[in-house]
Amino acid sequence: MKKYLNIYKVTLINELQYISDIILGFLSFVVMIFIFLNLWNYMYDDPSSLIEGFSKSQMIWYVIITEMIWFGTRNKTLINQITDDIKSGSIAYTLNKPYSYAIYVIVKNFGEITIKFLFYLILAIAVGLIFVGPIDFNMSNILMLIPVFLLSFIINACIRIIISMLSFYVEDAAPFHWLYDKIILVIGTVFPIELFPKFLQPILKFTPIYVVNYGPSKLVIDFSMNSFFTILMAQILYLIFVIILLSLIYRKGVKKLNVNGD
Amino acid sequence: MNVIEVKNLCKTFKVKEKEKGFIGSIKSLIKPKYKKIEAVKDISFDVEKGQIIAFIGPNGAGKSTTIKMLTGILYNDSGTINVMGINPNKKRKKLAYEIGCVFGQKEQLWTHLTPYDNFKFFGSIYDLENSVIEKKIKEFKEIFELDEFINTPVRNLSLGQRIRCEIVASLIHDPKILFLDEPTIGLDPIVKENIRTLIKRMNKEYKTTIFLTSHDVGDIEKLCKRVIIVNKGEIVLDDSMENLKYHYLNKKIIELKMKEKVNLDDSKGITILKDKGYNLKLEVDTKKTSISDALKLIDANNIIDINISNVPLEDIIKSIYKGEK
Repeated sequence: MKKYLNIYKVTLINELQYISDIILGFLSFVVMIFIFLNLWNYMYDDPSSLIEGFSKSQMIWYVIITEMIWFGTRNKTLINQITDDIKSGSIAYTLNKPYSYAIYVIVKNFGEITIKFLFYLILAIAVGLIFVGPIDFNMSNILMLIPVFLLSFIINACIRIIISMLSFYVEDAAPFHWLYDKIILVIGTVFPIELFPKFLQPILKFTPIYVVNYGPSKLVIDFSMNSFFTILMAQILYLIFVIILLSLIYRKGVKKLNVNGD
Repeated sequence: MNVIEVKNLCKTFKVKEKEKGFIGSIKSLIKPKYKKIEAVKDISFDVEKGQIIAFIGPNGAGKSTTIKMLTGILYNDSGTINVMGINPNKKRKKLAYEIGCVFGQKEQLWTHLTPYDNFKFFGSIYDLENSVIEKKIKEFKEIFELDEFINTPVRNLSLGQRIRCEIVASLIHDPKILFLDEPTIGLDPIVKENIRTLIKRMNKEYKTTIFLTSHDVGDIEKLCKRVIIVNKGEIVLDDSMENLKYHYLNKKIIELKMKEKVNLDDSKGITILKDKGYNLKLEVDTKKTSISDALKLIDANNIIDINISNVPLEDIIKSIYKGEK
């Protein structure tokens, strides 16, 4: 366990080099939020009305939180590391170290996104307070939100790695990442599940959207003990499922590994 | 005691074959064709503890594939591998504690960190106590002369400095076997020499078994007592360095500088390698013609300078690669 902590520490230190990159990314975040702010201002002609149970400020805060998860946790490592390692052959150095390669990539990812996420968290709160103003939020909920957010990140990382590991089988996993990107971004980030047609909603609840970004964001804007336990339960089940899938794909894939050249 | 035992090792790669051009690419999309490449065919050998062994061969001979199977990165199709009593396919993590690898063309160090931080990191990966890591770093700092740059980020190091750090990072956990895959590639002669001395010293002090691949004949000649040559996935020679040289010692190179022009033709056991009138280079096969018989063909009074030498190891290896015996 200690070694994984060390991998986390080293990547964290490494990432301090890139703080200016993170700050540059803020710009696109603010632009995104500004667009949705205008969109929802237009949709809610009466500020006190509700759309599918969401007030205007809840709706905008929802987008702020999902965008924060999107920007704050998006990381090259999850998307490119495995493909790059296989293509360049540097997997030869990581595979014969006494750690699990999959856990190594996940831990490395967390080392890299920690600072980025904290920055986006501060930015998101600031943007929300300035543009929308505070919403009904009980500070004691934070304790329950932490595990939900952590699980969301871990599940997201596992799914990304499962997709990346497809490069053991196909030459490039990029198209599958693109597909996942679009599902998360278009369906999960922009609108809450409630806004989709009734027949779609149960299906959407089985997709990663529910556990990765809808769940945590919904709990921030509209907390209830009931939905907390439902989402937490769903996340735990999802986590078990992706871990089993991951280890299956990894075990089979690593045997197919093909490292050419010197 | 054998630290590596390999029996009847085979590995076949399936490689996609594509016809040329755009239409060929479309065809391969619809109906991909695969070609089987036998990278390693029935290789068997043993390595004893403390040996420095050269595992060489031309490009594409199957050297790296074999190393990668020995270190557990690739799975073999058939045959058995036993490294330190461990099957690399089944217990890759356990094996990792016993072996170290340096791939001259790849990087494992974290570029933003200093060598010192890197070593601490790699030490902790192998579950070493902090005090043990410190002790090891101190030791290696002296042996590998790292003092000057141990606190400079790796990205600012020269290639020679970096390779030294790469080797140290692979040694931090006291591996019993060190796999070196072209450790001196791209280095200047002085640094090469330096690294060879260090490898030798390490072999002596820690009794580390060293398994080396290299295209640099100097590496092989200066370091190794035993040579395995592979070509097209098969072992073509497995012998001691002395035997290898002795086997080809019957051929001598005579270089002559003459006062007057000589006219000499290829004859029994003598091959003219170079004839520039005053300067001559001959190869004499002493099994067919003795040196003295060869020299009788030349007027001794005309010789300004003479040099008789062995065939260089590089040529010997070249001829083995080409399949000449």
